[in-house]
Amino acid sequence: MMLRLPLIAALTAGLGLAACSPAEPDAVVNVFSARHYASDQEVFRAFTEETGIRINLVEAGGDLLIERVRADGERSPADVIITVDAGRLHRAADAGLFQPLTRLDDVLARVPDILEHPQGLWFGFSTRARVIVYARDRVDPSEIQSYYDVASPAFEGRVCVRSSSNVYNQSLVAGMIAEDGAEAAEAFSAGIARNMARAPQGGDTDQIRAVAAGECDVAIVNHYYLARLMNAQDSADRTVGEAVGIVFPDQGQGGTYVNISGAGIAANAPNPEAARALLRFLMSERAQRAFAELTNEFPADPSVTYDNAVLDGFAGFEARELNVSALGDNAAEAQRIFDRTGWQ
Amino acid sequence: MAVTGPVTQPLRRRIGQTGFRPVWLAALAGLLCAGPLIAVAWLAITGTWTDYLGHIYQTRLAGYLWNTVIVGLVAACLSGVIGTGTAWLVTRHVFPGRTVFQWMLALPLAMPAYAAAYGWYDLTQAAGPLSMLPTVRGPLGAGLIFGLVFYPYVYLLAREAFAAQSADAYDAARTLGCSPFQAFTRTALPMVRPAVAAGLALVVMEALADYGTVSHLGASTLTVGVIRAWAGEGSTPDAARIAMVLVTITFLIFMGERALRRRARQTSASGHRRPFQRQRLAPLAGIAAALICAAPVLIGLVIPAARLGWRALSTPAATGLWQAAGHSILLAGLSGLMAAFVGLALAYAIRTKTLTGRASARIASMGYGVPGAVAALGVLIILGGFQGWLDGAWRAMTGSPFPLLLTGSVIALLFAYQARFIAAAIGPSESALSRVTPSLDAAARTLGARPLTLALRVHWPLVSSGVALAGLLVFVEVLKELPATMILRPFNMDTLAVTAHNFAADERLGQAALPAVLLVLVALPPMVWIARQITASERQRDAIAPSDAFPGLAE
Repeated sequence: MMLRLPLIAALTAGLGLAACSPAEPDAVVNVFSARHYASDQEVFRAFTEETGIRINLVEAGGDLLIERVRADGERSPADVIITVDAGRLHRAADAGLFQPLTRLDDVLARVPDILEHPQGLWFGFSTRARVIVYARDRVDPSEIQSYYDVASPAFEGRVCVRSSSNVYNQSLVAGMIAEDGAEAAEAFSAGIARNMARAPQGGDTDQIRAVAAGECDVAIVNHYYLARLMNAQDSADRTVGEAVGIVFPDQGQGGTYVNISGAGIAANAPNPEAARALLRFLMSERAQRAFAELTNEFPADPSVTYDNAVLDGFAGFEARELNVSALGDNAAEAQRIFDRTGWQ
Repeated sequence: MAVTGPVTQPLRRRIGQTGFRPVWLAALAGLLCAGPLIAVAWLAITGTWTDYLGHIYQTRLAGYLWNTVIVGLVAACLSGVIGTGTAWLVTRHVFPGRTVFQWMLALPLAMPAYAAAYGWYDLTQAAGPLSMLPTVRGPLGAGLIFGLVFYPYVYLLAREAFAAQSADAYDAARTLGCSPFQAFTRTALPMVRPAVAAGLALVVMEALADYGTVSHLGASTLTVGVIRAWAGEGSTPDAARIAMVLVTITFLIFMGERALRRRARQTSASGHRRPFQRQRLAPLAGIAAALICAAPVLIGLVIPAARLGWRALSTPAATGLWQAAGHSILLAGLSGLMAAFVGLALAYAIRTKTLTGRASARIASMGYGVPGAVAALGVLIILGGFQGWLDGAWRAMTGSPFPLLLTGSVIALLFAYQARFIAAAIGPSESALSRVTPSLDAAARTLGARPLTLALRVHWPLVSSGVALAGLLVFVEVLKELPATMILRPFNMDTLAVTAHNFAADERLGQAALPAVLLVLVALPPMVWIARQITASERQRDAIAPSDAFPGLAE
């Protein structure tokens, strides 16, 4: 049998060279991101175009990113760390992976205080709301004006929600612990576990599809998954989007829980100037618009306008006046509540 | 297969002096490959102790274990039935398409389990086109998916065992009035039990180490518990501890399988062997047999791949896929190349029959049963520790930390892949090397060949195809690998598996589809080659027996 090794060798030649091209200081910024959205590709491309600073990117889950930066220690190449959840930023801050944000006061002035780390280690550049979707033909939206309504006995066997392993559910209940106390949060989790129409499975989009298909009547999801369906090219997806309605819960009772996509500068960033430039750019009108138009996220800067009718229709709700760092403080407690109450 | 007996025994003992013997290299490789697992065990022991284990014990541990058992059992039963049944059909019968099915039945191994899960869940969920079927979800659904994509391990092993079996017992049973089915269950089946058990051990190890599939389908196995301890509680030591429970289970399965095989070896030591006459099936039965053989390939590979492919057609393609495919092939190719040589070195080490050599090979194989994310954590711990040590030493001399060496380099990735998959490369090399009899060594040495010349000019031509097979098996495994690739890769280096996963994690199945399908397409040609190589024993005396081509099956 002929040996194929030369072929493999030929294919793999040059890999080592490609992997280690040294960069000039601050002509480049190294980004560790837990986001993988089309909007980010666009934003990064625009950043390089405007500033001439090249972006080196590694995308991975937030927890792995934290472990990587920690393992690399003071020689970590990371300049900017981006995650899709305040809890992860909080954990990275606790591990001492961020440096204080300096010389960015004009940028931070445009970020609402509740989206910033209290000691100024990170900030949110876009937000996502945890909302309730319901079947228009079977549910009266007045029944589900609060998160706690979904956990009430009236919805037994009618609720779809994804696994509690998911960080969005964790952060929701972490927020409830901060606002209403652990007991109320535990009662909520127990009610949801009882009300489930099926064991948790799939992602948020799957929950919306299940509501549209009649498998359940209400679901708790992030707003942009519904916006994405409503804006989809595929007409079947738009039909799903039309079959369900959206409620921003707790209006007038504290407000809807929001989470952030956030960023900070790594403690040992080799290119701090470029990192600052990137954070500045994330808050620029161009980037803020991209998040709204390409990923259906709400821009952190409320003054930014964008061309997205669906998202515009969602905007204007009352968001929870709770600093998002509280989500990180209570994340572990939230998961223990899930474990105790049987929310898988 | 090995030559033993009074004449060759003294020679074998002296192979150390006559042959090529890189035991030191093997010992080093074995230690390196076991490194991540040892690091995780170290973290589990030395990490901060909290009340988390108590909390898990009181709340979810029983559920994790129960789901793990169900997933393992369903995967084992399904893959056992499919693998053994199809192997019996293709080895003992003549029917339309038999020669094609012989290798085609191995192909679902090219399908990453999580991709099959996305495809089947999308098809069968309430809003899907096959919603009349029960939704593929929960522990049953996950077990089903694993059974469908991993049954080729059982098939390949059972096929070889059936083919090597003597016809005597079966014919005797038939003469004594057994129906063909009775004769199969009472004689043929018991004799292939060790081979099937070996395949099942691999299936179960793969199933228990998986995270992507079980998390999407909502089956909370122990691996989910590991990730929750890490992601939710934020405690890597507790994640390591739960992982050690999983590693212990895997280890027990591994040991049980070996014990079963040792017992079986003693009972089947008959010298006489009369080959089978293949039974020609009647036309209708032949068509039924062809359908039975086609079904697992369709369900495990073609249907989910087609669903993903259909999704890909109705969505705009993601950019950078060709580059990602290039990276996938490069990483998998480089790893395959390395694994081929490291595996060969370890096989040489086993051949010397020294304790060091054999122990290194066995230790190196252990990484196969570790969940990928935990293995990645282990690699990070090792690299971080090494970097810290370098920094300390360098600072003492120069006052500044040492330049970052390993993480985010291709070297770190290759190290992680070797640690995880080297077991798949040891077997084929070991088997190939066993064809080199000690007398051959002796003859070459008598004629004046130095050890290196002996290895290059006598051994290499004999073992090269086995070594290539080892490399290709690792190639396919690395193509599918996810967590270590995600966190250890250099900047800007996406692979197909990473791209597919990133889109799917963001619930954009349409965009995830194309990279997933490309992944299968890249994996297919080598899989076809492997499958044909393994099933070529009838065509070619020189071929590799599948029992030697898979980890845990050597010896």
